[in-house]
Amino acid sequence: MNASTNINIKKKDVFKKRSGKNILLQRLSRNKIAYVSLCFLILVHILVFIGPLVWKVSPTGLQDAGALANWSLQHPMGTDDLGRDVFSRMLYGGRITLIVGLAAMLFALLIGTIIGACAGFFRGYVETVLMRFTEAMMAIPNFFFVLVALTVLGTSPIMVVIVIALSGWMEIARVVYGETLKWKEYEFVEAANASGATSIRILTKYIIPQIIPSIIVSGTLTIAAAILTESAISYLGMGIQPPTPTWGNMLQDSQQYIWTAPILGVLPGAAITIVVLAYNFLGDGLRDALDPRFVKK
Amino acid sequence: MLKFLINRFGQSIILLLIVTVITFFLINLAPGGPSSTMRMDASPEERQAMVEKLGLDQPVIVRYASWLKGAFSGDLGTSFTSNEPVVQRIAERLPYTIELTIFTIIISIIIGIPIGILSAIKRGSVPDHIINFFSVVGLSVPAFWLGLMLILLFSINLGWLPSSGVGARGVDFNLWGWISHLIMPVLILTTTILPNIVRFTRSSMLEVISQNYIRTIRAKGAKESIVIYIHALRNALIPIITIIGVLIPRLLSGAVITEAIFGWTGIGTLILEAARGRDYPLVMGITIVITIVVILCNLIVDIVYSRVDPRVKNV
Amino acid sequence: MNKKIIITIIGIMGILFLNACSYGADNTSTTNNDKEEDPQKGGKVSIPIVADPTFNPWHPNAYAESNVVNRVLFSSLTKPGKDLAPSPDLAEEWEVSDDELEWTFFLRDDVLWHDGEKFTADDVAYTFNEIVLNEELGANNSSYFGQLNKVEVVDEYTVKFVLESPVAALPAYLGFNTEILPKHIFEGEDPWNLTSFNKENPIGTGAFKLKTYNSGQSVVLERNEDYYGETALLDEVEYKVLGDANTHVAQILTGELSIFALDDLAAIEKIENADGVDVYARDTTRFFWLILNQEIEKYQDKEVRQAILHAIDRQTIIDTVLKGYATIADSGIAPALQQYYTEDVTRIEYDPDLAKELLKEAGWEDSDGDGILDKDGEPFTIDFEIGIQGDLEAVSQMVQQYLEEIGIKVNLNAMEWNTMIQQVVVERDYEMTLNWWRYPADPDLSAYMHSKNVKGNNIPGYKNEELDKLLDEGAQTSDIEKRQKIYIEAQQLMAEELPYLFLWYPQEAQVRIDKLKGVPDLSFGDALHYINEWYLEE
Repeated sequence: MNASTNINIKKKDVFKKRSGKNILLQRLSRNKIAYVSLCFLILVHILVFIGPLVWKVSPTGLQDAGALANWSLQHPMGTDDLGRDVFSRMLYGGRITLIVGLAAMLFALLIGTIIGACAGFFRGYVETVLMRFTEAMMAIPNFFFVLVALTVLGTSPIMVVIVIALSGWMEIARVVYGETLKWKEYEFVEAANASGATSIRILTKYIIPQIIPSIIVSGTLTIAAAILTESAISYLGMGIQPPTPTWGNMLQDSQQYIWTAPILGVLPGAAITIVVLAYNFLGDGLRDALDPRFVKK
Repeated sequence: MLKFLINRFGQSIILLLIVTVITFFLINLAPGGPSSTMRMDASPEERQAMVEKLGLDQPVIVRYASWLKGAFSGDLGTSFTSNEPVVQRIAERLPYTIELTIFTIIISIIIGIPIGILSAIKRGSVPDHIINFFSVVGLSVPAFWLGLMLILLFSINLGWLPSSGVGARGVDFNLWGWISHLIMPVLILTTTILPNIVRFTRSSMLEVISQNYIRTIRAKGAKESIVIYIHALRNALIPIITIIGVLIPRLLSGAVITEAIFGWTGIGTLILEAARGRDYPLVMGITIVITIVVILCNLIVDIVYSRVDPRVKNV
Repeated sequence: MNKKIIITIIGIMGILFLNACSYGADNTSTTNNDKEEDPQKGGKVSIPIVADPTFNPWHPNAYAESNVVNRVLFSSLTKPGKDLAPSPDLAEEWEVSDDELEWTFFLRDDVLWHDGEKFTADDVAYTFNEIVLNEELGANNSSYFGQLNKVEVVDEYTVKFVLESPVAALPAYLGFNTEILPKHIFEGEDPWNLTSFNKENPIGTGAFKLKTYNSGQSVVLERNEDYYGETALLDEVEYKVLGDANTHVAQILTGELSIFALDDLAAIEKIENADGVDVYARDTTRFFWLILNQEIEKYQDKEVRQAILHAIDRQTIIDTVLKGYATIADSGIAPALQQYYTEDVTRIEYDPDLAKELLKEAGWEDSDGDGILDKDGEPFTIDFEIGIQGDLEAVSQMVQQYLEEIGIKVNLNAMEWNTMIQQVVVERDYEMTLNWWRYPADPDLSAYMHSKNVKGNNIPGYKNEELDKLLDEGAQTSDIEKRQKIYIEAQQLMAEELPYLFLWYPQEAQVRIDKLKGVPDLSFGDALHYINEWYLEE
């Protein structure tokens, strides 16, 4: 049903979309919130990836200031319950959190794209099996499985990334599936088919490049979801474990200090919220920028 | 219709089987056994006695086969940690989760649909932007962090609401005790699904408004309010039914965290206990019950949908 | 009206008297003060437990949350006295034969089960012969009775414990989670699957009996009017199932809870500063330890073990993580065991320079200047495996930092508790780990460091003939004075040899509302044996 309506999109739109990312950025700049979010995210990434090179205090070392020290020049955000520099931990923790989000997103994109593209391209029983499987996975409250899996498989960063990715690829698969169905019908794909190109070549050379904008949108939203999931499992004590700091386990750690030093929980919580918010705004903005209805306005 | 039901039923059984196989092997092949064999100071002899008692010395395949045989006759085994039937333990806890989720759904619908409609008919206006902004905020705030902040404010600083528990039940039951325990958990769970309802209602409404027949009605000179509330809304609400099916899994996932924050003794806290204690039969039981609940909800949604939407009536 | 006036006068007199006392002697303990007041009957105390209990002390699933309930519902032959030495409970007195292989316990003849049946020697014999000694069942704590052959019924109210070899600690073991079960209910049943008892309707002999139980919510006990000791003053004892430690704090501040032992000390300041609640430091028979796997050659060197302990600033960890609620440990025998504890041992002080020197003597030196010690080209790295529970993660992160300061690279790996047990305790696949032991009020630590237990709870796998000999002698000597000498010698040896790197003896932070009186100056768990003396002040 979806496919038939999609085919009605005029050729003119197609060429607009194909003419590149510049237009995307241009449209994005018209959406103020999304634009601000993008700038903010770039700033945060610079801060957490380059910041530790400048701010050389160890995130795990015990500071002379002792535990729960107040904000000062030496420790701009004070020290935590064990006497470690909170600012340094926020930077390193942010780095791990963002890397986990990014890695989980990439992995989820890989799974989602393969499944979605194969289902859309090959049709037939491949489509039935893959899409039914995707729907089934969507129907299951995946958090239950995430918990069971992490309890028994352990909480190494790689395992956390894999489990988060396995719980979050379904939406991507659906988007890619829909797009593949649409693009498969275009003449240039049919032409390639007629000229005897292999299926894999058609998929990778002709179809997937067309879907990239949609994948970027899904990816952006998936990062947001992955960061949230990471922090949620950390809250339950099943995420990445200390001494590696992440915003999630810093937040979990601070819980017991909710009575005596609530600020320890406010900082990582606020950081997670703002970053996730920015990714969500950016994702929404990108989607609007890609939406033909939006362009007409 | 019948063919459709049989088809769906068959698929559900296959799904259930896959879920049980994955879960069973996952938990059984992991290092570490059930808590009952794993006390820190248990002697090797005590451990061995427990392993044999629980039948854990048998191969995993044999255990799975006997579990499956029991499951088909409705016997989900005995919990390792309490020696009570798994069915009984789940039955004790499930009502609390249902209570929590039903309140959340009702409140989310009552608030979410009008807001979504408002946002759609005032598309591009300031209220629309504000609603959109807060929808994204709602999707972005970690529920447990918000929960902690609420506890900090309402329980610790103001002392208005209890920070934990389900309130007294049975003879000691009192209305305020019950409501005061419900407020924060329902609020938190609502923030996890309300944005979805708002956004879905908005897009569903926009879809309908742009349809030709609405334009026709408008062109005939009908009053705008009549157009919106009588014609558009009726048709926009139908797809909203489907989102309930999508939201059930999300709601149950959210319930795990919410229950953990507020010590709500539902199925979410039970799965945490079960997973941590390696209570294999209980983990299996909860998994299967949750999957069945979700499948049933989706089935009901499909049936209702096919009844109310004239376009899919003849499927 | 008259009554009110009288009560008021008594109250005022009480307050005056209290003041007089506190002027007279500053160190009079609170309980002594309390006794001057007139204990009132009535009221309810609320105690938090973290999970549903199992009403069977021997059940393998009966953890800490069950122990605090079972101790009140049931009774054992002895109980820890207020000086922690075994004192009478179901047994009025006991004697040991000259060869120390037969212990005779004389039981009370006035004890009734909660269902009205008479308690007799048969119940004791049944509990031990059929449950504890039945190896197939693997009962909790049954390892304490490894030397027990059988329990004989001498007459209706006399039992005889027949041992394989002498166990001086027997009376102490009989008061540590070893409550007696009713034979008339258990006979012929599978004791672990008798859910009607273990989960629904327990029948004990304790000062309180079960009133209601709601899974996941609460257990309510009511006063047992037929209790053989002093009838309890409280009407009810309520155990609330509350998994989250923050909730415990919140509820004691609002008075919804009455008393508990605070595990997580982060919130201690808040409680100390609050009105109507106080924190009491109580000694317990526990010690925290760090161990180095003795299978690995480099840790068999005593100097290396000492060096590592020298590198750790234990006082700072105690102040930071435990908020001061612990004292530095030199050996495994805790100060709570006043009869046996000695300070006259070599203390390993915090001295990172000495640590480096000792390691240098053992051949570990930073020869390539990368900041990490090495020997024969191999860097000094330690894999540090810990389970996630309570303070362990926080403590181990600090230990890691202290060791890195002297040039040892530590890879900390925190894992889920059951995984840790499997890997560390069962498979012994670890290099260094950190944990704690809690033991009955007796100095016999054979289970943890005797070489015969290297497959059991001697987790470091430590073997030392001299220590074995002392532990054997101590375990078999009932004469207190001789025993004291043996254990003082054992402590000196432990402090020097460090089979475990002894960290500290944690104190319990007992949180209690001021209205609750009559609680003896014991750890929370031990004070529960005296719950019949507790009362609430208006």
